[in-house]
Amino acid sequence: MPGIGIPSLADNLPPLLKRNYGKWISHEHPRPGVIKHDSETGEVCFTVRAGMPPNARVSTQTLRKICDVADEYSEGFFRVTQRNSLEFVGVPERKIEGLIARLALMGFPVGGTNRSLHNTVCCTGYMHCHLAATDPAAIMKAVSEMLLKEFENDYLPAKLKISGSGCLNNCGEGSTADIGIVGVHRDLPPIHVGKLKGCELPLVISVCPVGAIKPKGPGMVEIDGKRCIHCPACSVACAAMAPIGSADGDGVAIVVGGKAGNTGDGPAIAKVAVPYLPNNPPYWSEVTGAIRKIVYAWHANARKDERVGEWINRIGWAKFYERTGLPVSTKVIDEFDSRAIEYAKSNVRFKW
Amino acid sequence: MQIEKIKLCCAKCGFTVEEYNASELAEVPRKTKRYKYLLQKSSICPACLASGRLKENRVTEEADTTPTQTADTKFSTTAPVAHEKHPDSPTPMIDAISQGVWPSHAAELKKTRYPVQMYEQALQKRTTQWGYGGYVSLPGVASGVLVRASARPDITKGSNFVRIMDPCGNFFKADSMRKICDISDKYAYGLLHLLSTGGDLEMLGIPTENLKAAVDEITKIGFDVGSTGDDYRTSEECIGPAKCDLALYDTLGFREAWYKRFLDDVQYPRFPHKVKCKFAGCPNDCVRGQQKSDFVVIGVFRDLPIIDQKKVKKWVKDGGDMTTACTRCPGGCLSWDKKNGLNIDGDSCLRCMYCINKISGVRPGGDRGVAILVGGKMRGKYGPMLAKVVVPFMKAEPPDYKEVFDLIEKLTEVYDANARKKERVGDFMLRVGMSEFFRLAGVEPSAHLFNQPRTNLYYHWEPEEVRPQNGAGKENNCTTTKL
Repeated sequence: MPGIGIPSLADNLPPLLKRNYGKWISHEHPRPGVIKHDSETGEVCFTVRAGMPPNARVSTQTLRKICDVADEYSEGFFRVTQRNSLEFVGVPERKIEGLIARLALMGFPVGGTNRSLHNTVCCTGYMHCHLAATDPAAIMKAVSEMLLKEFENDYLPAKLKISGSGCLNNCGEGSTADIGIVGVHRDLPPIHVGKLKGCELPLVISVCPVGAIKPKGPGMVEIDGKRCIHCPACSVACAAMAPIGSADGDGVAIVVGGKAGNTGDGPAIAKVAVPYLPNNPPYWSEVTGAIRKIVYAWHANARKDERVGEWINRIGWAKFYERTGLPVSTKVIDEFDSRAIEYAKSNVRFKW
Repeated sequence: MQIEKIKLCCAKCGFTVEEYNASELAEVPRKTKRYKYLLQKSSICPACLASGRLKENRVTEEADTTPTQTADTKFSTTAPVAHEKHPDSPTPMIDAISQGVWPSHAAELKKTRYPVQMYEQALQKRTTQWGYGGYVSLPGVASGVLVRASARPDITKGSNFVRIMDPCGNFFKADSMRKICDISDKYAYGLLHLLSTGGDLEMLGIPTENLKAAVDEITKIGFDVGSTGDDYRTSEECIGPAKCDLALYDTLGFREAWYKRFLDDVQYPRFPHKVKCKFAGCPNDCVRGQQKSDFVVIGVFRDLPIIDQKKVKKWVKDGGDMTTACTRCPGGCLSWDKKNGLNIDGDSCLRCMYCINKISGVRPGGDRGVAILVGGKMRGKYGPMLAKVVVPFMKAEPPDYKEVFDLIEKLTEVYDANARKKERVGDFMLRVGMSEFFRLAGVEPSAHLFNQPRTNLYYHWEPEEVRPQNGAGKENNCTTTKL
């Protein structure tokens, strides 16, 4: 029965970290994929970081292998970071080469530290979700494949984070990353009249952000197609209005410039650069092409320590579209709420 | 002895979703709230997947009888079947995704009993093949279980998963993970989502009739389930003092104390919508709390960063790039010359951690505490929003962090009492307005609460602010302050 709480901290920390809890004084990156922490007790802790399958999906078969590696190299513990990378903490220095070779044999590339592409994060998409407008896991697999060199080396201007969400619910955190992909629907939600009985109609009407759903007689609703912004809010609240989307309607938006830390220009939510690209499985060549253009333009033009968002803030959006060669669309000007007018330009300080 | 029990059942198939003793329902306010919440809410029945209001049944039972499982197997999902191999591959798309150097999720799917045709067909048809689903309750398991129907009953009937709350610091012990593997092999597809973006471990593919047994086995090996529905979701924390030299408070201890105090609210949904809490050890915010979470506790320091000039000089000598560091400092407050070393201009320092991250020999300053930001979200009703500062600085005192937890509990109560159904904290703040939210929560005015003052003068005064009586309404105006 639930009610026991989380496993205790004392039992779930590697002994090396328990001995040096709160005593760390500095860290450095001796090579890509390896981090070294120094403690005031004189002990050092080496961490080896590896990429994971997109969405951190592993079979029990693979997980057992990871457990064996952890037993052999890092005192029986491994860690999954916030960005879903696999970390072995407290690896003895002499064993690092062996561990990297072992991980390579298992098919896990080592890297993703410092000024490199960090491991991608995405939601489950087509694998297990009824709202997905795209499959971010497959896109992230293609992106990781394309930027493998950037993952394994650290020559980029700053760290690069790429995330993907399958729909506007943003479970995959597309909007938090330097470059994010977010699945977008373009169809109106259906109304399956037979199932409406099971729905809480006042809730369905109130969750719509734009008031596009209106009551139409007792037990029935109608959708104002002009207003709909194709977010899946009603499809989440009501089984009669799911699934939303179709093969030709669904697609991918690309957002850029998200960032969490308070350094540089501070935390920011990513902004829409490309409002729609079609779904093209299995490799999503349009999406990966657009991401490649952004990464290459950023790499070539950004100053040191400049994240993607900070680079755009410095050069401006006109230069961003010029440098990347991405198509411009008026859909990127916000018209959603009363702040809308501020997103259009109100000065003539142009960068030609 | 006879006991009166109140059971909340599915109106269609009669499956018991939750049950209470009548006496404890009257006495425990949290249970009363949860009971009222369940009665108002349209729930999904785990047995027949019908959504609708629950029906209340009052029954009198012998005190020692154990609650019986009434799941009707007729409606439940079938046990997963192994994927059959075929000479000319039935899964061309998945084969394409399985290739390459990067580890592939599709290759992992094939090693399990996951119905790969669901994924294959979705990729071929460019739409998802899954159907409606949602969070459900089972007797004794109020949160942590999700059911999902299938839009392709010819491939699979549906698929459920449980959410397991991860240990502090996301450290997984090899031994306990092997046990998780055993449970997953026994009951589920043998497929794990190691860390969801919410910070849980998810075990996919448990047939409905096995859900309860699987949850029992998971709790037997020391893990607990939770974090679905309208409760405090699993709180994420950065690795903190366990392996980081920058942590300004003990995030891991904080999270452990959090679960000791709020476990009920994590496992029994009763709020208007989900509430996500994240704990970041320093302003670098590795948990992305300012972007994602309703309540984020961030470690901050008030004194200037401490400079060890000897170490800094050594860093420069070893090839450290001081020119970039000085120009990229967001406050523009770093200056460096060989003789006097590094200097920080106190008035423009933002305490943003940039110099501390980049220059060896600069360490976070003293006078440490936490800042509390409220209302971040990724979607909600009005789109993504960054969390807003509510308390710029307060002390976090171990071991029970009472002041911080009391404040978060108070803010949650304000949200719970005033927000509409399915309204995230951020949406609630937008709807009522920041100053009204600050008034409801009793926030101290501070110049750290805003980037810049407003340009329009369209603001509202309450009558008691205009003519204060008995000191009421003093906090937010300056008419009574001597200038």
